[in-house]
Amino acid sequence: MIELTCIECPNGCAMTVDNSENEIKVTGNRCKRGVSFAVSELTNPMRTICSTVKTAFDFCPVLPVRVSGEIPKDKIFEVMAVINKTTVKNKVRRGDIIIPDVLNLGVDIIATSDILST
Amino acid sequence: MNIKSVQKKLDKIDGGSFKVSEADNMRIVTGTSGDWNAIISACQAAVSSDKNIHVVNKVKFTGGQDAPMRVPEICDNSLEGEEPDVLIIGGGISGASIAREMSKHKLNILLVEKESDLAMQASGRNDGEVHPGVDLSKGSLKQHYVLLGNRMYGDVCRDLGVPFERCGQYVGFTQKSLKPVIAAYVLMRKNIDGVKDTVLLSGEELHKREPNLNKDFKFAIYNPSAGCVCPYGLTIAYAENAVQNGVRVSLNTAVLGMKVKSEKITEVVTNRGTVYPKIVINAAGVFADNIAEMAHDMFFSIHPRRGTNSILDKKAGKYIHCISSIKKLTNNKSHTKGGGILHTVHGNLLVGPDAVETWEKENVATNPESIDNVFNKQRETSDKISKRDIITYFTGVRAPTFEEDFIIEKGRNTANIIHCAGIQSPGLTTAPAVALDIEKMAVEMLTGMGISVRTNTEFNPKREPIPVLRNMSDEERSKKILENPDYGEIVCRCEEVSKGEIIDALKSPICVPTVDGIKKRVRPGMGRCQGGFCSPAVVKIIAEFTGKNLSDVRKSSESSVILYGGTKEGEADEQ
Amino acid sequence: MSSEPNRANIKKSYYDVIVIGGGPAGLAAAIEADKNGASVLLVEREQRLGGILKQCIHDGFGLVRFKEKLSGPEYAERFTDMLKDTDVEITVLTFVTAAHRTSSGFDITLVSRDGVCTVSSKSLILATGCRERTAKQVFIHGTRPSGIFTAGTAQNFTNILGQLPCKKCVILGSGDIGLIMARRLTLEGAEVIGVYEAKPTPSGLTRNIHQCLHDFGIPLYLSKTVTRVFGSDRLTAVEISSVDKNMTPIPGTEEKIECDGLILSVGLIPENELAEDLGVEIDPKTKGPLCDENLMTSVPGIFSCGNALHVNDLVDYVSESGETAGKAAALYSQKNYAYAAVNANSDISYVVPEKITLDGMDKDVIFYFRSREIMNACTLTVKAGDKELLKKKYAFLRPPEMERLKIRFSADDLKDIGEIEFLLEGEKV
Repeated sequence: MIELTCIECPNGCAMTVDNSENEIKVTGNRCKRGVSFAVSELTNPMRTICSTVKTAFDFCPVLPVRVSGEIPKDKIFEVMAVINKTTVKNKVRRGDIIIPDVLNLGVDIIATSDILST
Repeated sequence: MNIKSVQKKLDKIDGGSFKVSEADNMRIVTGTSGDWNAIISACQAAVSSDKNIHVVNKVKFTGGQDAPMRVPEICDNSLEGEEPDVLIIGGGISGASIAREMSKHKLNILLVEKESDLAMQASGRNDGEVHPGVDLSKGSLKQHYVLLGNRMYGDVCRDLGVPFERCGQYVGFTQKSLKPVIAAYVLMRKNIDGVKDTVLLSGEELHKREPNLNKDFKFAIYNPSAGCVCPYGLTIAYAENAVQNGVRVSLNTAVLGMKVKSEKITEVVTNRGTVYPKIVINAAGVFADNIAEMAHDMFFSIHPRRGTNSILDKKAGKYIHCISSIKKLTNNKSHTKGGGILHTVHGNLLVGPDAVETWEKENVATNPESIDNVFNKQRETSDKISKRDIITYFTGVRAPTFEEDFIIEKGRNTANIIHCAGIQSPGLTTAPAVALDIEKMAVEMLTGMGISVRTNTEFNPKREPIPVLRNMSDEERSKKILENPDYGEIVCRCEEVSKGEIIDALKSPICVPTVDGIKKRVRPGMGRCQGGFCSPAVVKIIAEFTGKNLSDVRKSSESSVILYGGTKEGEADEQ
Repeated sequence: MSSEPNRANIKKSYYDVIVIGGGPAGLAAAIEADKNGASVLLVEREQRLGGILKQCIHDGFGLVRFKEKLSGPEYAERFTDMLKDTDVEITVLTFVTAAHRTSSGFDITLVSRDGVCTVSSKSLILATGCRERTAKQVFIHGTRPSGIFTAGTAQNFTNILGQLPCKKCVILGSGDIGLIMARRLTLEGAEVIGVYEAKPTPSGLTRNIHQCLHDFGIPLYLSKTVTRVFGSDRLTAVEISSVDKNMTPIPGTEEKIECDGLILSVGLIPENELAEDLGVEIDPKTKGPLCDENLMTSVPGIFSCGNALHVNDLVDYVSESGETAGKAAALYSQKNYAYAAVNANSDISYVVPEKITLDGMDKDVIFYFRSREIMNACTLTVKAGDKELLKKKYAFLRPPEMERLKIRFSADDLKDIGEIEFLLEGEKV
């Protein structure tokens, strides 16, 4: 039995997960996203991360970015290292890809603001 | 009281740990004690009725250790070999006002201050009351200067462009039976102190004027000449005017030692090099006795006394428009007025201060008990004050002698020093008058040394203040913004401070490009959010103006780092 | 009044609606007011619209509204994009210095790089957000070193200026911004020693405790607070004390923790200084204006929304309240109605709106409320007079998590009633 807090939405359901018999049983969830979260959390926990990248522009020294999809939790700091070594030199737009397929994880690092282009 | 009777009194304190001896107009108290309050009691008991005789505390205190004097990190030779006619030690209200008055003469004047800005100790950490001059003992220097100083305030503040309000002071009494006694007292003080406008007000009249004071006040003493000023604002203004008139101010400069030859100071060692002054003015606040000791002229002792004030939100400012306090004829032993409530020139209420003896000259940490004590007392002055309205609080350390009077005199053993020591309340009020006297003494001393002191014909007593846009009419403000659009960009929302005003502060005669330096000059961060919203913007403006990195901007001292540099290294080789 | 020549950004001297504040509440309010036919001026004091969302670069915004996990800037820019298709006039770097009531509405004095000008309006929307409680407001004593930041200030330094405000820090308060900053600072290379909370229960959302603290092994200490700070230049240490039930520090429990940063997430206060100047009555429970279901304050024609109205947990609700206020401000006409007060029992810390207009119309009213304590298996009953309007069961309620309800009122429900009652009953934890 494992106690888990679902992070899929602000409800933050307190769930109990029973994985004793080759089958994952979830209780306490208010919706089915809780089940998939619990399964993922027990097998391959995934997270999103948000940070900033350095820019070449004085008026905006850093640009907010995030991953376009979830990455394995244990890759967070490796992805951060790549983000930290990147400099944006173009006036990119919100949604533009800053780092494609980061660490071959199948997700991109994307800009989350139009600040450089407006 | 002769020395034998003093010793008898001392024998009763702390199991007879103390001895007193008399020499050269001093009463030197010696011994060993772990009880600081006992040491204070012993030294107080040794005070002579002869004002010329001072108590010197040479007791070894074993109950704690004062940290060594804070010395700036900077170490260079920027002052090496300087030969100023006048070296002023201390950039508080005393040193700054003396520098300004001295600048009327064509002299080489250098003011050194060990902190990163002026008014960093007691002068920036008091309530800003301009005292009416009652309640002081007859014949004291305090009493002599307070009336002179109070009368000068209007003109001085006008010349220096500093806000000053003669808001008046009310001392309320809840015991009706005391009225005849107090009436007689007021009459007596009028004749002794010469404060002719002090009056007794009925409770009814008091409540009409200040409806939020204690409803149980049956009557009050009213001193219309009392006022309030921004104490650090005035200190900075004095120093800036001095600089405009040729004085040099060296901040982050601590006096570390002196060489005294044939009863004359020949060298003054600082962290910025050795200076060779003709005369030295000791305006070193809590360290005035240490400076005197360096000059081989320590005939008095300073015993630090801490006081804490709270600042309330401007919303509370509407409750009380004056200086007010409650007086009970019971616990009148402490050396403070017990604090009060004061409507500041900026529209806040200030509550405090308390008074706590301490051996630590620079410990300005606050304690919850101080705030609680002051509020418990001042809630009897007005029940409108609430700890919920506190936006900040601060502690200052007063610099009294055991005689509780000022020392304004030339050195006793050393010929080229003038002491401006023992300055505590009402030292802010007295400063303009004291500075004039010290100026005279210094000129006399220099002349006596064969130095011709000529008038500085270019002396300009007026200082143009930084415009305060929030106080302007819409028309005036619009005009200013058209001249300089930065005045239209509000950076600090609580105090409505514009970018233009911040840049003006950075361009002022004594530029202190730190967050606190700017805050003291034009007030961003002084409001209810305490810089929460504006501090990133202020840091950025300072960095842009000075051409520094953001991480090189400091809160105040060189070690008060705010930011540790960029979070991102970016590409190794940027194109 | 309007004698000023300088209104470079501002084309007209009169607008139906003036919105003060260009954060999420103000953006939604301006768009909605425009949609309802009003001429609108949106006033923002910073260079860019978006308010605090500009620095909230973490994701999780817009789940309710957009069914997506957006970052703060993305959420805000969706609205600024929508604004481009409206006739709303926008003035940025513009500060409101004064607001006055006139016989026909309001006069607002604006200061910008173009000078000072006065603009009039029929109605006014206050979307001024909130500010953070400071160290001194939670009575932290000691010295005054650098290195003490409110979480929002630390967030600005980190996310906008790209600067690290500390290397090794303690976070006081488990509010959401504090938790978010614990993760942000960890990601950016700082060490977070722990999050300390004076209350016996966390203040932030449970999912934030999980994904911001547990994920990074940052401990959360309950019933502990910072009582003192040390360091005469930069912060060198903090003193942590355990607190009793009344959140008073217990002598003898002090421990000194070396750190160079103290990040405070100790509460948000709605900013209503302008509202108070205009005579708007403030609800002591929410610290925001007392409002009706249209989010009109006690002063006819003045509306409030977002975190100025009450501190929300989700930006989605901030936008929703902006829309409610925006629509009502656009349609506002000076008519007087009686009100039914909305009252709540003591297990509810507040309900917004605080009163309902008795205008004889059927209506849907959106309510926001929070429980006072953590409750399990509880029931909320809403009554209009004797009539039960709603009965809803909750598996649990937690004060950090705001609840939203939409209740349909028929004209009949609102006939001859003095009050609407919110009764929460259940098991306290």
